[in-house]
Amino acid sequence: MSELTEDRIAGYIASRLEGARDVVVDKLFRISGGASRETYRLWLRYVAADGSRVERPLILRRDPPDSLIDTERLIEFSAYRAFHGSAVPVPEMLWLEQDPSHLDFPFFIAEEIAGFEAAPGILLNEPYLRHKAKMGLQKWTILGEIAKADPEVLGLTRIMPPVTVETAWSQALDYWEGVIDEDELSPQPIIRAAIRWLRANPPPPAQKISVVHGDYRTGNFLYDTEGDIHGILDWEMSHLGDPLEDLGWTLNRIWCWAQDDLRGALLPRDEAIAIWETASGLKADPAALHWWELFNCVKGQGIWVSSAKAWSDGQNKDPILIVSSWRLLNSQDRAALELMGRL
Amino acid sequence: MKPDAQDVLAYLTEQMLTQIAPKVQPPYLAGTIGMIGAALAVLTEEWDRAAHRLVEENRAIRALFRKAESLSLEAGLAGELRALAGGEDDDLHIKALDAGNAALRSVLIRLQTAVETRGDAASKALNEAIWAELTASTVRRQQASAPF
Repeated sequence: MSELTEDRIAGYIASRLEGARDVVVDKLFRISGGASRETYRLWLRYVAADGSRVERPLILRRDPPDSLIDTERLIEFSAYRAFHGSAVPVPEMLWLEQDPSHLDFPFFIAEEIAGFEAAPGILLNEPYLRHKAKMGLQKWTILGEIAKADPEVLGLTRIMPPVTVETAWSQALDYWEGVIDEDELSPQPIIRAAIRWLRANPPPPAQKISVVHGDYRTGNFLYDTEGDIHGILDWEMSHLGDPLEDLGWTLNRIWCWAQDDLRGALLPRDEAIAIWETASGLKADPAALHWWELFNCVKGQGIWVSSAKAWSDGQNKDPILIVSSWRLLNSQDRAALELMGRL
Repeated sequence: MKPDAQDVLAYLTEQMLTQIAPKVQPPYLAGTIGMIGAALAVLTEEWDRAAHRLVEENRAIRALFRKAESLSLEAGLAGELRALAGGEDDDLHIKALDAGNAALRSVLIRLQTAVETRGDAASKALNEAIWAELTASTVRRQQASAPF
């Protein structure tokens, strides 16, 4: 494996830009972009075939040797592409490369939506704090738009594994129970009890099959100082399923960053649900939503035990894996206890 | 150890997060330093309480196993419960306590699975006691910086 350099990236892009010349990549540096893929920021400059000079900031996301979540990069890339230009703001995807011979691992390159924040901790301070209601309205409205969209029309039913309204819950639960079976480094009695309850009390069939973002939460969108959201990121866990899955994930107690009851550090639970219902045109049946909220505790624990496993196996030593498992395993258990009426 | 290890860890964490991380370039490395600081903050909390927490929890689970001895359970599970109920934490190293805790919690899952669907009063009471202990276990593990 050789070093990831500006020249190597420029060489790749030059081969993809028909008629372009003087292709230059500079200002390449790695940024924090989650543990599932290595994320780099770079500047691209070239002279296009029509003679115009082009300069734009880009993001390169490359698979690491091991990542937090095993995902199909084609699905992530396709989900971004499907929503580009819609009511769901996402960066433009440019190139997906599955052949590892170019930059040692598969990667994709996208436009950078530059100049905004994503970290949830920043939201707890001014000037962001005063805009939390506005940002919450946008956050759950956009999620409603994702739920409302037709996956068939978006072309995603050809890319994502099929699911039915009757089997959405069991497919999701089977998957995440399997992750915990495979990756847990210590027994998880609370989440095992939650899994037994979920299997004994299945939810009603989904109202429809939607695109599920899979990790829609504060921390995975870009926002500005006026409380406006400019980009929804991290579609690596996107799939087809019950739209209540995404809603339940946003309501998870582990995203109460301010250590209060505001979901995603933005809105009370009921307000978030009402906004989502209005935007999606769907109903959040309380019993069904309760099932999906508890399910999301299982899913969360699947992610945190996988983080611990990936770090302990030694293939990915990113400290975010340590912190996410140490800090969130117990919070996730407490969230499950609360939903089961035990806290 | 003097100065106290917990004080040292707290000071080093604070230095790393407030003095070092903001000056580190590029941003990815600053983020990594911040994450290392966050990991140290968790360790600071765990340093003093980890052994106590594990001993307390192991005792509580063994007490639950002793309560289960009056129930009619599948022979294999009943035998494991008897064997573990009489144990003690002689080795107080964290790794040894942690291994003992994992063994106990693994059997606790099987015990709760066995009793939670039974309708008799003793099983119901034991299931409630298990839930109380599981809730208490999350209080023992709670961290000041955790979101919930």
